[in-house]
Amino acid sequence: MGNGFFTDTTLCIGCKACEVACKQWNQLPADGYQFTGDSYDNTSALGGTTWRHVAFIEQNAPPDAPPTMNKWLMMSDVCKHCTHAGCLEACPTGAIVRNEFDDVYIQPDICNGCGYCVPSCPFGVVDLMASADYTESRHFVSDGRTHDDATQTRGGVAGKCTLCYDRQKIGVEPACAKACPTESIQFGDVDELHARAKARVEQLQARGVDSYLYGVDSGSSVGDLNAFFLLTDVPEAYNLPSRPVLPSTRQPAAYASAAIVAAALALAGFAIFRGAR
Amino acid sequence: MSATESSMRALDPDASARGVSDGAELPPHATPTYYDRPLLKKPHWEWEVILYLLMGGAMGGSGILTALADERGEDAALARSARYVAFVLASTCPIVLIKHLGRPERFLHMLRIFKWKSPMSMGVWGLIAFSAPATAAAAGQLARDGVLPARIRFVRFLAPRSLTNPLQLVLGAFICGYTGVLLSATANPLWAAGKRHIPAISVCSGVAGGCALNNLMLALFGGNESTRRKLDRLEAVAGIAELVVLFSFRQISGAAGAPMFTGPRGRRLFNATILGGIVAPTLINLIPVHARAKSALSAILTIGGAYVLRATLVEAGKESADDPRVSSRQPE
Repeated sequence: MGNGFFTDTTLCIGCKACEVACKQWNQLPADGYQFTGDSYDNTSALGGTTWRHVAFIEQNAPPDAPPTMNKWLMMSDVCKHCTHAGCLEACPTGAIVRNEFDDVYIQPDICNGCGYCVPSCPFGVVDLMASADYTESRHFVSDGRTHDDATQTRGGVAGKCTLCYDRQKIGVEPACAKACPTESIQFGDVDELHARAKARVEQLQARGVDSYLYGVDSGSSVGDLNAFFLLTDVPEAYNLPSRPVLPSTRQPAAYASAAIVAAALALAGFAIFRGAR
Repeated sequence: MSATESSMRALDPDASARGVSDGAELPPHATPTYYDRPLLKKPHWEWEVILYLLMGGAMGGSGILTALADERGEDAALARSARYVAFVLASTCPIVLIKHLGRPERFLHMLRIFKWKSPMSMGVWGLIAFSAPATAAAAGQLARDGVLPARIRFVRFLAPRSLTNPLQLVLGAFICGYTGVLLSATANPLWAAGKRHIPAISVCSGVAGGCALNNLMLALFGGNESTRRKLDRLEAVAGIAELVVLFSFRQISGAAGAPMFTGPRGRRLFNATILGGIVAPTLINLIPVHARAKSALSAILTIGGAYVLRATLVEAGKESADDPRVSSRQPE
């Protein structure tokens, strides 16, 4: 089994160190300064140049409950690196590959920006990086490269978490996991992480905290997620799908439907054009 | 809710409408959303892809017509027109497709691999496969029409019609259908809900569009009246089939189908595609008057309706991806 992330949301304190570390290490441009008013979340979503996103869920208790019942959940979201990845299957250039660490990686020099992976991700993770993102970013320029070089290299193509492929190559953990001060983000062998996560769920259940693992043994057609989560509310509260489906599973029905209608129309056409008059 | 939060909420009474989570107002077991933010990403496709869906459909439909036309009988003009139309569209579709890429200079990366699982890859190879017989057949047609110089008219022997016609039939049908597979094999709520309907609609619309475009060519450049009536009939069959599938899609798509079938976009689909693009041309074709203008008007209405259909599919798909309520429990 390969490497992945176990994100334990009960340990997340919402410091966003993972977001910052990811932007820094991967030289991704800033998203601009927008105030959303949605709790402490001004990042809003994962995107082509945002590969970690901390969600803040403020839930008020019913009026008659004590104030301690208020919940404030935080979760650092990331690409799930699915066992059966919709983006990887959709990619027509072979730019999206499964690397030696069993993670889903977009080769930025192969991707031609067709955009088909974007609607093919059941989790809404991957997105195109606009060239403009790079011209707006001054921080992106480094190690002697010019702005134009940077744009030339990565503008216009699809972007998402690489699970720090480059860091894994030299044997160090991904930037977000390294920066996480509470070990909410844990990096390692997925089998080991599964064991650790299951023990953590038991520990929490014993303390009376309702929790479960998202992306482990779910029976979904996307398979197990190499980046999985420990959650304490329904998936929708974190903007995760409660039933993700691998899009390619619809192809047999879709091709069959097209073939049947095409055959029927061709027969009708032969009857009309070649039939007895 | 604490006293502070109550007074904060009083300052911002619209907060709930914007999706700000408020336990006091949520029914206990209602499925929450994350500030109503989209759960899925919407496709980036703009007019290039919409235009390609239209052109590809008419191209596939023309490919089918090369095989249907009774060339040794009365439909010789149709066979000629369908070959030329298929060739012109096969030559121009790649330009539109390359234009839509984020990095157009990397178009050739599409040809690195052949991937059964990716309808985008299958489509690229299907387009290339289709353009081979389409080019050969068009060259042969040019030779037979005496357009090519005498010394290279031998090209008509290189592309026997007994070979190019069935190839254009099968590959044309594939081109008509794969675009629907490409849309429905995504996580997009509207498109995924239409896994059986959208491919069927694509085929019907492609065949009807191919009939209309060739009818227009025959109206402009002269063609047998009987051939044009046959095109009308096939177009009507495809149009009525499309109508039935569209209606069925509307019934089964539920909330995911709302961006396509309700509101201003739904009205536009009804007026431009169903009334203007299917019902009106069929009625016009029934008028027992043999006039080129009539055929041309009917053809233009059909093609316009097909364009609105494709635009509606793409635009409504984008809107459906914005609704987290239809994105969470994804259809099988």
